[in-house]
Amino acid sequence: MSDASARLTVVTGAVSPTRKRITTILVHVALLAASICMLYPLLWLLAASFRPENEIFTSASIIPSSWSLDSYIRGWNGLRTGFGTFYLNSFIISGLSVIGNVMACSMAAYAFARLEFRGKNFWFAMMLMTLMLPYQVTLIPQYVLFRQLGWVNTFLPLVVPKFLAADGFFIFLMVQFFRGLPKELDEAAQMDGCSPWRIYWKIILPLSTPVLATAAIFTFIWTWDDFFGPLIYLSEMKSYTVMLGLRTFTDSTGESDFGGLFAMSVLSLVPIFLFFLFFQRMLIEGIATTGMKR
Amino acid sequence: MTARSLQSGAPAGERAATTPSLWARIWHNDAPGYLFLLPWLIGFLGLTIGPMITSFYLSFTDFDLLTSPDWVGANNYIRMFSNDPKFWASMRVTMFFVVFSVPLKLAFALAVAMLLNRGIRGLPLYRALFYLPSLLGASVAIAILWRQIFASDGLINKLLAMVGIMGPSWISNPKTSLWTLIILSIWQFGSPMIIFLAGLRQIPQDMYEAASLDGASKWRQFVKITLPLLTPVVFFNAIIQTIEAFKSFTPAFIISGGTGNPINSTLFYTLYLYQEAFGFFRMGYASALAWVLLALVSVFTAFSFLTSKYWVHYDE
Amino acid sequence: MTIRIDRRQFLMGSTAMVAAGAAGVMPAWAQSDSLRLLFWGGQARADRTYGVTDLYTKANGTAVEGEFLAWNDYWPKLATQTAGGNAPDVVQMDYRYIVEYAKRNAIAPLDEFVGGALKLDSFDADQLEGGKVDGKLYGISLGANSVAMIYNVAAFEEAGVAPLTNAWTYDDLMAVGEAFKAANIRGGMKAIMDGSYSEPMLQNWLRQKGKDLYTADGKLAFEEADAVEWYTMWAKFREAGYCVSAEDQALDTGPLETTMLVLGKAAMIPSNSNQLVAFQTLMQDKLGMNGFPRVAAGVGGGHYRKPSMFFSLGGTSANKEKAAEFLNFFISDPEAAKILGVERGIPCLPATREVVAPTLDEQSQVALNFVSNLGDLLGPLPPPPPASAGEIDASLIRTLGQEVGFGAKTPEQAGAELISGANDILSRA
Repeated sequence: MSDASARLTVVTGAVSPTRKRITTILVHVALLAASICMLYPLLWLLAASFRPENEIFTSASIIPSSWSLDSYIRGWNGLRTGFGTFYLNSFIISGLSVIGNVMACSMAAYAFARLEFRGKNFWFAMMLMTLMLPYQVTLIPQYVLFRQLGWVNTFLPLVVPKFLAADGFFIFLMVQFFRGLPKELDEAAQMDGCSPWRIYWKIILPLSTPVLATAAIFTFIWTWDDFFGPLIYLSEMKSYTVMLGLRTFTDSTGESDFGGLFAMSVLSLVPIFLFFLFFQRMLIEGIATTGMKR
Repeated sequence: MTARSLQSGAPAGERAATTPSLWARIWHNDAPGYLFLLPWLIGFLGLTIGPMITSFYLSFTDFDLLTSPDWVGANNYIRMFSNDPKFWASMRVTMFFVVFSVPLKLAFALAVAMLLNRGIRGLPLYRALFYLPSLLGASVAIAILWRQIFASDGLINKLLAMVGIMGPSWISNPKTSLWTLIILSIWQFGSPMIIFLAGLRQIPQDMYEAASLDGASKWRQFVKITLPLLTPVVFFNAIIQTIEAFKSFTPAFIISGGTGNPINSTLFYTLYLYQEAFGFFRMGYASALAWVLLALVSVFTAFSFLTSKYWVHYDE
Repeated sequence: MTIRIDRRQFLMGSTAMVAAGAAGVMPAWAQSDSLRLLFWGGQARADRTYGVTDLYTKANGTAVEGEFLAWNDYWPKLATQTAGGNAPDVVQMDYRYIVEYAKRNAIAPLDEFVGGALKLDSFDADQLEGGKVDGKLYGISLGANSVAMIYNVAAFEEAGVAPLTNAWTYDDLMAVGEAFKAANIRGGMKAIMDGSYSEPMLQNWLRQKGKDLYTADGKLAFEEADAVEWYTMWAKFREAGYCVSAEDQALDTGPLETTMLVLGKAAMIPSNSNQLVAFQTLMQDKLGMNGFPRVAAGVGGGHYRKPSMFFSLGGTSANKEKAAEFLNFFISDPEAAKILGVERGIPCLPATREVVAPTLDEQSQVALNFVSNLGDLLGPLPPPPPASAGEIDASLIRTLGQEVGFGAKTPEQAGAELISGANDILSRA
């Protein structure tokens, strides 16, 4: 932070201190007001998780008439397996996905952004095309494939594709950032006899902390939030993920447990929020590194 | 496909003329690229392309999920364009959504990212707060939250009532329901915001310092430094958000309970596709719908890449 | 069988290379003695069902791997597993989809087990009939239910309206509507939801007029004039303020928590007898249940006892005999019956009903009494709906009702479109 404030002083050096202070206060007021609008629905969710069950849909006020932890207790233990197992499963899947995605996508992105080889444009176009087809229609052929591989009802269909850079989004994202790095760096390294691998490992990756952190954050959160993959591929309650567990609280045709849904929804946000808080520091670390690059 | 590689059609071949043997040339020129690409290639050839080709084949059949598909030629495509009002209706809904949600979401994300990039105190806190809505993803809870806000007796109308306005039931009125989904999409602006922030981080601060010493105004600095250097990221966000918006499924699915109602006003293209595939057992037809969407989106994407060399600046 | 293998071979075609190399690396399920069971439902149903599977395992040593999903997630998963040749041994089936699955051999006929593993001698005849497709038994009804008008007893008292009886008519409905309008309770609560796009209510109304939605050979069993009359009647109710506005009604996207009853916008909604308990958990007001209104005093025959849901055997199950034994246990074991109650509907074996009756809570008792005492409201079981009935409901009946409500179409246009659109869909499938 001190680094950032120092920068601010330099940038706004020409402006008088009082005016600067007023601007800062105004910015804070605007940001706070915006935050409250953004967060109202989440506050409602939080309040609802403490409400008695039959008050959820009939009460208009945001403050519950009485506070109760029932929903949390019932929700956590409600499903036969218990949410502890679901959390563990989600952590395994999301954690492995982060490792796989960051490694495999950054390699592919380095190839597309920095190396020359025949067929590059073709493969890049193919990569983009995989982003465009709605997943609903490849679902069944893919299921058949994974079943033949014997992977159904394991985590493999959810994790292995990440190690094979199956999500073009992240490749494309990293390509855009790698291309923003100064080319002289690799050229200099190449003259010193560095192999492409060393350039990738020693120069490109260290300079790309912000985008790698971004990719890590998104992968973790999106994998955590994904329910369609787990829904199709996991068939035993003990291998369910948190998101899948959440969806079993409500059924449109019969009895639902909304208290449990809201309580567990709130809890399900905690790990991804913490992950975000932790990795967003790396977004900041990026400043120092990129600041030195010239 | 990228601006630079489009310009240099076959650079590898030209340079290769100087090296002696064929294998040495391949090893020197192509091998590093393919080695780095290897994981992706394995995944693409092994896991992705097969199902894609299969779905393309299925689009020429009457596949009903449960029995073996029969070849019906181009019938699915013919029906779509000649005799399916729902196809056009869902196309209109999706187009409207793309045209309004993408620019608004991007503008909002960029504005907030700029605001947060000033190095103000509490930046990590704000960034986290603004990202929170995106954490919710496709949670079932969103459907309930949105009704709390946009129903006839929801939050918005309570606020409007204070100034004496009787608002409609935004979420269930066919004239306004799509807008509540556009607002939902904008509300979840966290990912493009983070990407913009990461992009802003990459802009060397000394450029601003120099410009500032030259007496350039804030606006001038934005136009002359920030925007040009941010174009690769803007380009990325625009392409990705557009593709995502065309494929947008979850918001309508959870908010309208998968129906696309009221009166099909939120029947997104992929929601219609999903209904056909899993609701009405017409996977063949759904596959055809998917490939038409792919064709449409790839035309748009190719066009974007072609124009990108005029406005996207890479440091090269 | 050959058909299915052909399809799988085909689906594999494009990915054969990879698969060939890696097939058999890790079998997903070793062929074991355990049964896989897939059903939709909420927490309450899951608890009861697992109670029974535990009981069964204890009694017979066969493990039952139960998995449950919400309705919306259930169908894509079942379809995907079926297409992948990996369907569970026992699946829960809906009245709407059983024809679809049976015609495509995705579920297996049960006839060979009847009298053996499955003892159905005293099983209610109409419920047995309801599980048949083309003369073969494909599903065992897990409970009978009937359409029912669920109403808010507290709101009726508050508005000073006398509770409903099974004798009430559409004219009474208008009187109740008038009374609620006059009472103006709870910010203008209306008497009833907009029933114009409730398929069960339309069917009930048609049956009272001696018609029906579909004929036995899968054609429409009513005419344009009927449809126009239906939409005109509801337009009148809407205008008079007896039913909720189109804008409010559109908040109802299917799940119980979005219905006009739970949102407190209407005092009555057409629903099913087995859903009373589920509604009650969402509401503080006491709820009651009654028949649908009669088209005229003394006219009955609109209602019928409908199988609420079935258990069927997966078409590719390798353990059909064992699965049939489990089905038999599920519907007939007295201990199992006590655990299950009437959550899936009224049990179809008289012996089971007797075991269940004394154990029920008040609301379940109401449901049981209602279905057992339909009297002259009860008509014959209609023929099973054609395979595309679901599509006609989703994309015509619901949408057209809404379009009339919002004034986008006149009742005449909607009536004509319902007929032509439905014929279109029926001929396409």
